[in-house]
Amino acid sequence: MIIAALLLVTQVVAQDPRLERLDPDTRSAVAAVADSANGVGLPVEPIIQRALEGATKGASGARIVAAVRRLAVDLGTARLTLGTSASAPELEAAVAALRAGATPQVLAHLRDVRRPPLTMALSVLADLVASGVPADSAGAAVLALAPQARDADLVDFRRAVERDIALGAPPGAATSVRLNAGALDVSSGSPYSGNPARPRRP
Amino acid sequence: MFEPGDETVERLIQHLRRPVAMDAGLDARVMREIAQASSPRRRVWPLPWSVAAAAAVLGAVLVARPWARNATSRADTLQFVLIAPQAASVSLVGDFNDWDPARSPMQTAHGIWATALRLAPGRYRYAFLVNGVEWRADPGAPAAKDDEFGTPSSVVTVGGRGS
Repeated sequence: MIIAALLLVTQVVAQDPRLERLDPDTRSAVAAVADSANGVGLPVEPIIQRALEGATKGASGARIVAAVRRLAVDLGTARLTLGTSASAPELEAAVAALRAGATPQVLAHLRDVRRPPLTMALSVLADLVASGVPADSAGAAVLALAPQARDADLVDFRRAVERDIALGAPPGAATSVRLNAGALDVSSGSPYSGNPARPRRP
Repeated sequence: MFEPGDETVERLIQHLRRPVAMDAGLDARVMREIAQASSPRRRVWPLPWSVAAAAAVLGAVLVARPWARNATSRADTLQFVLIAPQAASVSLVGDFNDWDPARSPMQTAHGIWATALRLAPGRYRYAFLVNGVEWRADPGAPAAKDDEFGTPSSVVTVGGRGS
């Protein structure tokens, strides 16, 4: 029965019409990676999207397959870190944070101090590091904010730090200054939260 | 459903928070009624009503599932904008539309290209495809640093909790 179910899943992934944009060899390899991921309970959709991204961007089959294999491995690492109850968006965000340089220990600590979903906190952590903030400083800042800050507060914090960096502030200093400024008033929903018009910008 | 910060909702909240004018004799009448009340009696619900109430509470909890980790219902509308006065066409492509340039063509006004999408919680990679050949990242969003295909991409996150 389990084998039959796995075979059915294999056929479903292989027959996904979206994968027809890939050449047959690449499609087969991507489907195999997706099946393996699905077999161990990892989300399949991020793997398919990464393959489609490669196809649309004109990447070679070998490059696409390498990318999806790496993503599957990283999703597994993320789940080991966050636990089996982590959602697909949380796992994707955790992959980004880990790739940015955050340690599994920081992610595990974040899971302990913040009520789920952790998607935004993990993403902000990844984006801060991508902006040039040292991984340990970004991790410390997000961990400090995580227990009480809303998702919107975390986004505003990231924007404030990025703005300071764009104006010439050293990334680590910008993070600590914004963190210390916000720590005075984070419990009241400010200072990072504004009253943004809808729809918001990314 | 409303979004935090919605102006209409904020006005409604302000209106509801305004003090309500009360009858000056209200307190006295209430205290008089209390004083005249007979000795307190404990109200006992018949067993069927108690069971029904418990079942209703249990049903509400089961439906609401407050322990559930996924807040998939918390979608968010995002506006994507690219200033490209020289472009003849711009498409928004990303994880939210299977990286299909035909799915989200952007509209322009004086070289400002824009479109809005409603996205479920998650972290999405995306990019702008200008004139069908040129890939551009969103200058107003974090960059995807782990781009493995040699072209720039951006990321946007919908958090699902007041994002």
